[in-house]
Amino acid sequence: MIKSHPSEAILYQYASGDLSASMTLVVGTHIDMCPICKRTVCEIEEDLCNKHLDSLVETICAPSKGAMSKTQCDQMLEAIFNSQAKPAAQREDLISLEGRRFNLPTTLAHNAHRIGEWTHLVGKLWRAPVDLSDDGQTNLIYMEPGAQVPEHTHKGQEATLVIDGVFNDEHDAYYDGDFILLDADRKHTPRTATEDCLTLATLDAPLFFTSGISRLLNPFSSLFFR
Amino acid sequence: MQTVTSHTSQRGVMTTSQQDTAEKAAQLLAQIAETRSRQAFSELFSHFAPKLQAYGTRQFGNEQTAMDLVQETMTNVWHKAHLFKADKGSPSTWIFTIARNIRFDLLRKNKKRKDDISADELWPILAEQNDNLDDDYALDQDILLQEISHYYGQLPDAQRIVVEKIYVEGKSQQEVSDSLGIPLGTVKSRTRLALKKLKELIVEHD
Repeated sequence: MIKSHPSEAILYQYASGDLSASMTLVVGTHIDMCPICKRTVCEIEEDLCNKHLDSLVETICAPSKGAMSKTQCDQMLEAIFNSQAKPAAQREDLISLEGRRFNLPTTLAHNAHRIGEWTHLVGKLWRAPVDLSDDGQTNLIYMEPGAQVPEHTHKGQEATLVIDGVFNDEHDAYYDGDFILLDADRKHTPRTATEDCLTLATLDAPLFFTSGISRLLNPFSSLFFR
Repeated sequence: MQTVTSHTSQRGVMTTSQQDTAEKAAQLLAQIAETRSRQAFSELFSHFAPKLQAYGTRQFGNEQTAMDLVQETMTNVWHKAHLFKADKGSPSTWIFTIARNIRFDLLRKNKKRKDDISADELWPILAEQNDNLDDDYALDQDILLQEISHYYGQLPDAQRIVVEKIYVEGKSQQEVSDSLGIPLGTVKSRTRLALKKLKELIVEHD
């Protein structure tokens, strides 16, 4: 059972198309995994449709000066009938790493071609960048059993979604489908115990490591989780 | 015409006139999907284009971009009508989500981003999803294969072969597409037409 969900405000922005590409990907992947949020988003989309499209009954009865002329309509219809269908979207449902294979939820599967090579970070951590050409930094992070990310805070927001497995931090344990949004001043130390964990994470600013020797990583943190 | 604005805050509640409109729009979408009816599309277009235009104008504050939104949204409706699922929501909500995606792309284009990420990747609402199969082709759960097998002879060869591969041999639509060397969309439409035909034959027989 998923216990950690995006707020309704985030779902609303998701449904309106007002989140960044990277946040849309993370929230959308959560929604693939979460029937509760999927339902909420359907309701929000109905609401938005009511607000943006269905409520315009009066406007049609009294066409405004900008309304399309008959000629414009006919030209547009002609262009549509002569257009070619876009090729079907590509998707890749599986990802593998070190002999482990993971099933990708639909939204992530449609972005599988944007997932770069896996690289080994410190300790038992791996990452593969997801290139969304966005302001954020989006990565798949794979934690082997017994892995620990050094304690850090965020200069911006960090959104993390568990795709498969479990990880803990000081606050809680997070399982498949859990969505965690941390803001700038929340310190945490993600770690795995006996299970491994695949997460999708997006950051809008580099991490800032706060404890011990890992503070030495700070000058490189923009490389570390880029 | 009835004003519906007072109801808009209630989620999922439709007025009678909205329901009629929704049913009509769903019929038109089905006609477009099955027969590629230009007339049905033109009717749907004249209903939705002004609404989309108003939405686009408010979103962009620019008439030309608003027109682009109308054209690109309705182009997707024309090509993807078969992906509309009446049991998943209303036609206008489906069309709204297409417009929402187009708006996302147009906004990014206006910012002159050089990347090519598209809203269809982020909200894959227009994907030919395999996981919708159960909803589409639930017929075989209700009727034993042997009961309908003698109706096969009455299907055109092209449809019969596709149905047998999927329902008798248990192949996926993608596998059928690969093995016959025909596009996935054709497999899907042949399956849909064949199942529809079988259903009609069975109902007639009863």
